[in-house]
Amino acid sequence: MLTTVKDIISENKVNDIKTLELVFKNEEDYKSFQYIPGQFAEISLIGKGECPIGIASSPTEVGSIMFTIKKMGTVTSGFHNCEVGDTVGLRGPCGNGWPIEEMKGKNIVVIGGGFAFSTLRSLIIYILDDKHRKDYKNITVVYGNRDSGEVLYQPDLEDWKKRDDINVILTIDREEEGWTDKVGFVAPVVKEVAPSPENAIAVVCGPPIMIKTTIAVLEELKFKDEQILNSLEMRMKCGIGKCGRCNIGNKFVCVDGPVFSLAELKEMPSEY
Amino acid sequence: MEQKVLKKDQIVKLYNDLVKDYNFYAPIKEKRNIIFGKITNPEDIVLNYYNSKVPPKEILFPQTDILFEYKINGKEIEIEEPKKLDEKNIIFGIRPCDAHSFILLMNFFSQGEFKDEIIMNRRENTTLIGIGCNTPKSTCFCTSIEGNPFQKEDMDIFLVDLQDKYLVEGISDKGKKLIKRLSWLTDATNADIEMAQELGKKAEEAIVTKIDLKNIDKILDPNFDHQIWKEVSEICIGCGTCSFLCPTCTCFDVIDENVPNENRGRRVRIWDTCQSCLYTLHTSGHNPRNSCIERVRNRILHKFCYYPENYGMLGCVGCGRCVQLCPANNDLRAIIEKINKIEQKKEEKVTV
Amino acid sequence: MVIEDQNKDIEQLIRDLARKLLKEKEVDVILGYTKGTIPLTSLPIVIDKVEDVDKLIWNNLCYINLAKYLVPRIPTLMNEEGQKLKVGIVSKGCIGRALIHLSVEHQIDLENIKIIGIPCNGIINRKKIEDEIGEREIFEISVSGDNIIIKGEDLEQTLPFNEYLNDLCKTCQVKSPPSIENICVGECLENPVIEDDFSDMTEFDSKTPEEKWEYIKNLLDTCTRCYACREVCPMCYCNLCFVDQNQPVWFGKTTAYSDIFTFHLIRAMHMAGRCVGCGACSSVCPMGIDLNLINRSLEKIAKERFNFTSGIDPEALPPMMAFDMEDDQEFMMEED
Repeated sequence: MLTTVKDIISENKVNDIKTLELVFKNEEDYKSFQYIPGQFAEISLIGKGECPIGIASSPTEVGSIMFTIKKMGTVTSGFHNCEVGDTVGLRGPCGNGWPIEEMKGKNIVVIGGGFAFSTLRSLIIYILDDKHRKDYKNITVVYGNRDSGEVLYQPDLEDWKKRDDINVILTIDREEEGWTDKVGFVAPVVKEVAPSPENAIAVVCGPPIMIKTTIAVLEELKFKDEQILNSLEMRMKCGIGKCGRCNIGNKFVCVDGPVFSLAELKEMPSEY
Repeated sequence: MEQKVLKKDQIVKLYNDLVKDYNFYAPIKEKRNIIFGKITNPEDIVLNYYNSKVPPKEILFPQTDILFEYKINGKEIEIEEPKKLDEKNIIFGIRPCDAHSFILLMNFFSQGEFKDEIIMNRRENTTLIGIGCNTPKSTCFCTSIEGNPFQKEDMDIFLVDLQDKYLVEGISDKGKKLIKRLSWLTDATNADIEMAQELGKKAEEAIVTKIDLKNIDKILDPNFDHQIWKEVSEICIGCGTCSFLCPTCTCFDVIDENVPNENRGRRVRIWDTCQSCLYTLHTSGHNPRNSCIERVRNRILHKFCYYPENYGMLGCVGCGRCVQLCPANNDLRAIIEKINKIEQKKEEKVTV
Repeated sequence: MVIEDQNKDIEQLIRDLARKLLKEKEVDVILGYTKGTIPLTSLPIVIDKVEDVDKLIWNNLCYINLAKYLVPRIPTLMNEEGQKLKVGIVSKGCIGRALIHLSVEHQIDLENIKIIGIPCNGIINRKKIEDEIGEREIFEISVSGDNIIIKGEDLEQTLPFNEYLNDLCKTCQVKSPPSIENICVGECLENPVIEDDFSDMTEFDSKTPEEKWEYIKNLLDTCTRCYACREVCPMCYCNLCFVDQNQPVWFGKTTAYSDIFTFHLIRAMHMAGRCVGCGACSSVCPMGIDLNLINRSLEKIAKERFNFTSGIDPEALPPMMAFDMEDDQEFMMEED
């Protein structure tokens, strides 16, 4: 499928994270692209290559899809050089996504760190949509970053803070002038906020060290393994379980994941 | 008579009859190696061979495979899908282990929500005329994987080498139909059939490598963190010989290749190997399989644990290529032997 | 003395020295060779117990350059506490040369190493033997007198030993490792002087550039890019090889001829003045590509232009690491 870049948003101060908004060239393609939050897609710049990126928009945001891309290698640098109107190839959606059906009727605790917040944004926007909000109970969001310049999706965060049906807690690693939210790593902040495990699902996404420490805190808070969901990262190429590299044991992260419950992860070899 | 006879000097005729409708692949000698090549001159076909160095999987899954070609015109992109893959292939002389590898490959490529239609299409358009192995090598171990040097089930047509001729048997409907078309084949005599049976028995007895793979997946599953992985990877140099020449390895990489100074190029997939450090290297620099230890483990587990878990059969066909060609002589048979010893130790513990 | 007796003596020398080094705790492990699981091979082995010393062997198929196992690219030999082990390494001449050159390039610390010097009597060219035997299986290979005896089912063939050696071994002048004080035991060479007329290169050098191009093209075109040549080479220790870099991508990864060619020739350039002539790359190539000629060319160029032979002098900087105003520049003007 081919898409066109409709808008480019620079997300952070150092300008190495951008969000690309894409519209489909072909209406039929758009209709067939049915996704849920937590899924990813293979997006490609013809001539540079393809890479798997989590979908940052929510299916409730009609008309376009969004990807937040950090400038790292050849392909992502290519995306950073994109202009409005450029053509971007798209394959997907890939992966299982967040279990939005099973999460219905539950309190949702969303814990994210840094740049990995994109599919969490998708999830929150989805839940907050008028059509879906009633299906879910309380929403608590803990979102941590290195510093205030790295906080993504600022307009969305402003919106959420204004609402009374979602509790948003932002934190940064070190004190900064003018910062009024929390200071400290994600795990201790979660401990302080102490969300109740009662009828809750915790959704965790971030760098490996954050995931590790946060899971420890959640376990302390008596969250069960089935109540903790993670989205894993892996080097991927095909996104459809064929190129081989993203296996953990006999599972492929690209088709069996990227979302795994802690209970599932504990059954798998710790090779990620 | 169900079974026919093909004289060796009729292979040219066979080729001439079929080449109009098929790409005819057969063993040829290229430089130092036997490979399955597309035949243009039937005199090139080599009939005295153990097996090819590069497995015939490369006919279904070439090392470089074009996914599509593209042209870039400013902001517009033109994609050109590869031409329809309806060319028909015959693989003449494929060995039973490699024919079995096609079953394994297709299990994988046709499994799940996303199927690899390019490869499935090629497989569908390919007819296997295989030959039993009268003299298996000492490194062959197909009988340890429930195969045997005369296993014909995975072929379309199965041949047995009777010195100056082949006994020809149609196995699949596709194969039987093809034999009908070759109306000039003569009927086999009872003596031919008996001789073939005799040779089959002999060949099976000639397999000297016997490795115990009965419980291998069950032994491997709980031993992911066993120190054996350090032991068996100690001498691995980390090249891709074992996987590139393995008939059941399927991993690939996808890259865009631009034609220099022109606004066009192609997206290709190329073979990749889990033994390469780049295979699992994250963009962030993190690598879940950072050394030979994890990489060797992944290869063994994939063949003997993950594949059986996912498909109910071993992910190895016992062709012995990795045994013969490992630069460091890190012999798979020795690795399996060591793995089987883990289990014994465990049992000892249980009985004590 | 006939070759099989030499081999027995060398094997005994290895075992005696290994036993002594382990017993006296001079080293933690011995890196050597043991019997291969199939004919025409040998198997690298790490030995940490005195009682296993008799597993060590020497024959003319010990083609792996064991120095590779000490370079940082391969996980270093460590004990359970993660400390580097002191290694005794069985060293034919080219392994000694590799160790010296790696030390010159600051890749290994010779202080942690004991070089068990042995006088190598040449490595058999496996590919030539296979060519000769063809599609018949070899069960056993041995050396007797001046001959290699090959046995298989209905097969017994005698081949002259000298003709079936690696080409690099035929011209080798550093049979034992060059001696380094306090580090070498066994048979090591004091200050080896290399006098090489490179007469084996005359034929290739007399070719026109076009003929050379054709020759090398023809040589490399069966390459599958498994990188066994690179991985077995003690001098290929880069953490990220230029082939694997993706920023920028230097050249394609397919088996198109131009890609294969670029890989081998750029690798060759990186080997100039560094290759130690062990021939391991050719011995292990699964497709039977013989890189010996390229390696000899490199050695010749380094010798003729810079009077340098790699891995001889632990103090001498290799030409590509040193700049000298007096260096010959004429090659820039040459047509080829």
